[in-house]
Amino acid sequence: MRASRAWIITIIAVFVMSLILLTPTLMGDSLPGWWGRLFPDRGIRLGLDLRGGIFLLLGVDSEKAVDNELGSIKDFMNTELKDDRVLIKGSEKSGGTLTLQFFSKSDLDKAKTVADTNFSDISDIREKDLSLTFSLKQAYLSEVEKNAIDQVKQVIENRVQELGLVEPSIQKAGADRIIIQVPGASQKDRQRIIDIIKRSAVLQFKIVKDSGPTEEALLAKYGVTAPEELEEQGLALHKGNTGAENEQFFITTADASVTGESLSDARITFDDFGKPAVSFNFKGEGASKFGVLTEENIGKRLAIVLDGTIKSAPTIQERITSQGRITGDFTTDEAKDLALVLRSGALPVPVTIEQERTVGPSLGKDSIDKGKLSMVVGSILVIIFMIIFYRLQGVVADIALALNMLFIMGFLSAFGVTLTLPGIAGLVLTLGMAVDGNIIIFERIKEELRVGKSPLAAIDAGYSRSLWTVLDANITTLITALILFWFGTGPIKGFAATLSIGIISTVFSNVIVARIITNLIYQEKKVQTISI
Amino acid sequence: MELIKPGTRIDFVGMMKKVGFLSIALIIISLLSLIYHKGPNWGVEFTGGTEIHIKLKKDLELSQVENILKSTGYAPKAVQRLGLSGDNEYLIRFSPELVKFDQIQEFQTKLEGIMKDNPEFEGGLILRVDYIGPRVGSELITKAVISILLGCVGILIYVMFRFEFGFAMDAVIALVHDTIITLGAISITDKEFSLAIVAALLTVIGYSVNDTIIIFDRIRENLRKSGKSSFREVVNEGINQTLSRTILTSVTVFLVLIPLFILGGSVIHDFAFTLIVGAVVGTYSSIFVASAIVILWRQRKSSAT
Repeated sequence: MRASRAWIITIIAVFVMSLILLTPTLMGDSLPGWWGRLFPDRGIRLGLDLRGGIFLLLGVDSEKAVDNELGSIKDFMNTELKDDRVLIKGSEKSGGTLTLQFFSKSDLDKAKTVADTNFSDISDIREKDLSLTFSLKQAYLSEVEKNAIDQVKQVIENRVQELGLVEPSIQKAGADRIIIQVPGASQKDRQRIIDIIKRSAVLQFKIVKDSGPTEEALLAKYGVTAPEELEEQGLALHKGNTGAENEQFFITTADASVTGESLSDARITFDDFGKPAVSFNFKGEGASKFGVLTEENIGKRLAIVLDGTIKSAPTIQERITSQGRITGDFTTDEAKDLALVLRSGALPVPVTIEQERTVGPSLGKDSIDKGKLSMVVGSILVIIFMIIFYRLQGVVADIALALNMLFIMGFLSAFGVTLTLPGIAGLVLTLGMAVDGNIIIFERIKEELRVGKSPLAAIDAGYSRSLWTVLDANITTLITALILFWFGTGPIKGFAATLSIGIISTVFSNVIVARIITNLIYQEKKVQTISI
Repeated sequence: MELIKPGTRIDFVGMMKKVGFLSIALIIISLLSLIYHKGPNWGVEFTGGTEIHIKLKKDLELSQVENILKSTGYAPKAVQRLGLSGDNEYLIRFSPELVKFDQIQEFQTKLEGIMKDNPEFEGGLILRVDYIGPRVGSELITKAVISILLGCVGILIYVMFRFEFGFAMDAVIALVHDTIITLGAISITDKEFSLAIVAALLTVIGYSVNDTIIIFDRIRENLRKSGKSSFREVVNEGINQTLSRTILTSVTVFLVLIPLFILGGSVIHDFAFTLIVGAVVGTYSSIFVASAIVILWRQRKSSAT
């Protein structure tokens, strides 16, 4: 391989590119403003374990999503069949199946017709005695679950964005999980962030039928012992949190014709006593629905149900279309946060925290410093070592090593790889492994010289005969690095990424860059001996 | 500069028996340690639960740390030191039943309180808090085992592709040998078997086979050339010729790992330890063990025909 123009230009090009990509990292805050217009202006991204911050793995309750879906099928059937004067005797939900029971065969037949018309494409519909069962089809189930997680992700993004946190990252992980990373967040922020993320924020508007101080007494009044039995009467039980002593529980209509989905905005405001409250607006269809609800129920009380609890139950004085207010026992922060979650939309299904990591900022900084120190000391040792053992070729190897590290850092920047503490360890390891290829090649060259070849021929033979050995050695490490990348999360993924990129760059450096430098030194000279 | 004089003829093959004893002894010690400790010291990512990493101003005995925490109502499942002795850093694990995910805030607040109020803990810092739910933990164990197996299989396939099946089996046997002994070292020193350690193990797997390949490569080349020498002589010669290379490549890796071990800080300390042990064992096995297995394999093959 002559020191061909093409290779030299390639090497110089990659060198320059790496410098450009690394400049933001090296210059930090003193990066000139115009840089961002021409070149990428993001430096190497630091992982949470180096910056400090919070990592959350949320599990999304997709079973609940299926449950909700079955619920809306039931509601639809209910409404449609009412027009035909068909009543549903009872219903049952389990797994991905909804069972509706009817009073007579003719009712069943009417129901089946409605069902077939509307749901045959998403569900298997079967008759058994006087029941109709709906089993959601697999393809539709997957779609429901996917929609649920997409919606959850969107809601969380809306909420996190409003918090104004630094570079939060929200990603799907697998079929039913979401990863949230908030760099720089401290333990104090933690509770607020989690509360905001986890809050269902389901807002419903219902009409109050009755209220009372205890659950048992209230239920008994309607002839039932458990809240679920109220469903048959078209009613529901809710806990009350309005501040009124004798209104711990409410009986309301079961269905909410207006929900938080109809909101167009929610803001913090203050009530007539100067206490914090939340005002909300309706628009379009929501406004007209709310208008109908209030108009039909003037004089009655409007139950404002938040996450299943009635926050307040004002009397409806007149028809309202566009605005309302939730008052209650809020602090300013609580009102602000409530407005935030209402604005962002309700979570369609509940989420649970499956994993959480909080790293303090001091650990991060300490880790970076120590990582840098080991890298520097390691590099110096390796550099000196190579010079002692391989003299001029050792210097060549060292130059190739320096370029190698530069290229690797450049690639990390380019691919947006997040640098973690194991990632730094990966870089250090790459440092030690990078010269291995050089050593393999140099030892081979020495052998060729001993056999009697002329220096330049020995160099040629050395590089060509050891090529596959160098490749073999690096590919095996690459295989495990790639497996690690697949299996790891967070910091381990960062390690696998830096290791993989390091290996690829190392092969390039060992086989091509070192060769080119050597040729540049010796080309067109009469060479008697080489320093190796 | 020459590390090993060219023309060195150490009879590695002849040492086979002694090496065999040493290896088997090491493997037995490792397995015994693992059995005694009832498996590796599974980190919190696998068992689930809560783990905290704290740095104290004073150097306390592990039992002192445990008692102070117990008295505040949080009895730890395990307390370990992290890093070097001067660091005063401790890794404390709590069982999953003790702190559920909705109690973490309360737990952290209480912890911060202890840090301020308790005289022994005063001035201490909470560096990291980890909570792992049960579902995540069990999934991770499965993933870890699969990746280690996949790693070995992947390498087996690759070596088979580049050499022949016999060589590939030897490489894998040497690998398993290295993995068990490294695991043994971790078990004896009672280091936490965390996700990072699994990563280090996988890296060791990928890296230690490098040396073996270098030697196999040379043996194969010599086999092509030699006519009269016996198989044992060819293998011996191969090892001797590549001895310089094998040792020097390991030395360069140590030159970077040892600063990492000493200076890298407590978090990366155990990780570096695993890599170092793995590299040492890997080099030893490449020089002595792998070739011995090649020869035994060949002997069996030829005596079978």
